Amino acid sequence: MQPAERRLSLLVTVLAFALPVLFVLVPLAIFLGYSFFSVDQGTIVYGLSLGNYVRFFTDPIFLPVFWNTIVLCISVAIICILLAYPAAYFLTTLEGRWRYALLMLLLVPLLMSYVIKIYAIRSILGLNGFLNKALVAVGILQQPSTLFVFNMNAILLTLTLLLIPFAILPIFLSLERIPQVLLRASDDLGASGLQTFLRITLPLSLPGVASAASFVFVLAIGDFLTPQMVGGISGFTFGRILYSQFGTAYNWPFGAALSVALAVVVIAAILIGERFGRNRGTSI
Amino acid sequence: MNQNTDLLTLRSVSKSYGTVPVLHDIDLSIRDGEFLTVLGPSGSGKTTVLRLIGGLEPLTSGEIRLDGQDIGHMPINRRPFNTVFQDYALFPHLTVSGNVGYGLSVRHVPRKEIVRRVAEALELVQLGRFADRFPAQLSGGQRQRVALARALICQPRLILLDEPLAALDLELRRQMQEFLKSIQREIKTTFLFVTHDQEEAIGMADRICVMEAGHIRQLGTPHDLYYKPNCEFVARFFGENNLVAGQLGMVQGELRSIETALGRLICSISGQPHLKAAPDGASAYAAFRPEALHLADTQDTDNRFSGTIADLAFAGSSTVATIAAGVDSAAQRLRLRVPSRVDGSALKSGETVSLSFAPHEGHLVLA
Repeated sequence: MQPAERRLSLLVTVLAFALPVLFVLVPLAIFLGYSFFSVDQGTIVYGLSLGNYVRFFTDPIFLPVFWNTIVLCISVAIICILLAYPAAYFLTTLEGRWRYALLMLLLVPLLMSYVIKIYAIRSILGLNGFLNKALVAVGILQQPSTLFVFNMNAILLTLTLLLIPFAILPIFLSLERIPQVLLRASDDLGASGLQTFLRITLPLSLPGVASAASFVFVLAIGDFLTPQMVGGISGFTFGRILYSQFGTAYNWPFGAALSVALAVVVIAAILIGERFGRNRGTSI
Repeated sequence: MNQNTDLLTLRSVSKSYGTVPVLHDIDLSIRDGEFLTVLGPSGSGKTTVLRLIGGLEPLTSGEIRLDGQDIGHMPINRRPFNTVFQDYALFPHLTVSGNVGYGLSVRHVPRKEIVRRVAEALELVQLGRFADRFPAQLSGGQRQRVALARALICQPRLILLDEPLAALDLELRRQMQEFLKSIQREIKTTFLFVTHDQEEAIGMADRICVMEAGHIRQLGTPHDLYYKPNCEFVARFFGENNLVAGQLGMVQGELRSIETALGRLICSISGQPHLKAAPDGASAYAAFRPEALHLADTQDTDNRFSGTIADLAFAGSSTVATIAAGVDSAAQRLRLRVPSRVDGSALKSGETVSLSFAPHEGHLVLA
């Protein structure tokens, strides 16, 4: 190799490592550092203490909200998977051109502003919204219900709607990667359509399901805007607490400690998704 | 098992993809217990025949009869046939025993029996030690044997093999050919084997069905196909051959003459009544194998002509000479195969030689 070339490749290597370190690891480390500081009358005290963590584990407010938020986000992930799987499966049954046209259509919402989508969903869920009008019109409800907005249900529904595209894509890709000849081989060996689906298609698409679930969970648990806008008073999530610590309460060290707790859950979710997302070294 | 009864019969089977026909009115009987090879160049429709029988493709018209019953439209999972796919199509998420037992477990065979029969099948294909491996951990030849075990464990009436050896290297392919043949003898199941490799076909088949352009050109034993091809395509496709065009002449018992650029040649028509019946002057080819051609000596009076050795190629056990023969010496290129000798060939490039072949080693095909 020429010296110039070698210098270039060294530069590329350094950049490849430097960028994630600079923009991911360093901020995380700063967060971790801040979580051991404290605040006294609006100014940050740079002395190490475990006070923030003690408060998080002992204060009766935080742990229940933390736990409820995890349950909420797991529910969002499950509902997203249940809705996305049939949609993705349907897509793979379509002929080439239609398949991608429809997939694009399903992914278009990703290009729209998050805030506008939340407003739109809120107006659908609201007291005079489309959902209530429809339910009253078909006679399921006597009068418009407040069940769908400014509470946990609203957050669940909104997050699900917002995050479904993130579930469809990985499931679709994993379904599409299954060689058709495997399904024919299963038929050939005497399996019924249902047996082929349960024994071949479903297990081979599980990696996609696992990454879909971890995507949706991670995106849902980090979201504070959606609960803020559709959650009302009763829909209180961990994201909102976090947001308030950095915003209104101006307690960055405690906010950082809460972030660390959240990061632990997120990392765990990603690792679990990764673990199940890996094909057991069994490409064909 | 009786090799003389038909297991499966295809009657005027046609297949089109959209408006493109790929099979034209195929009639084919597969005998019980035989090893039948369908041989043809790519695009000949050979794989389509297999896929139609296996139920992997819907029939356009015609019928497929098994036990006197038309199964042409029976769903794939109810047909008593199993397929060994070209790229094996093993289930990557199941172990070797999971793959092999699949056909039994979807039929709700009791667990104990599955375990026993899987062990037997793996023993048969000599993979007993690999039961708990995943397909990705196996070599090509091992995957091939798993695919075979998976097909034969269901005790199908017919095993369909779609160019299963194409992906293997030469040495392994030879071993697998012998192995397949010995398994077939052992389990006495009918094998329908599709390949484009004529050497493979000759080595393994009881009978060979040669296909071209969606038609069956000839069906017979490897010996028949080699020595009594019934058309130009088979004569050229199946093994090396010399074909010389001409017009048919007189019939003399089991022999018939043909007027060619090399003069009058006499060829055998034994057992081929259609050649006896063909009118005088009909266009035909005299066909004789490179190993049937030899340097003429004084006793050779028939089928004698001269040619110039244009090229000599050493091919191991034999040496192949390319010979320019005929009146206008570029008119005909022939191949002559002689055993190789350690002290070099008796033939010299550029030499003019007198050649001949025995009448009973030449045959005729209609053009």
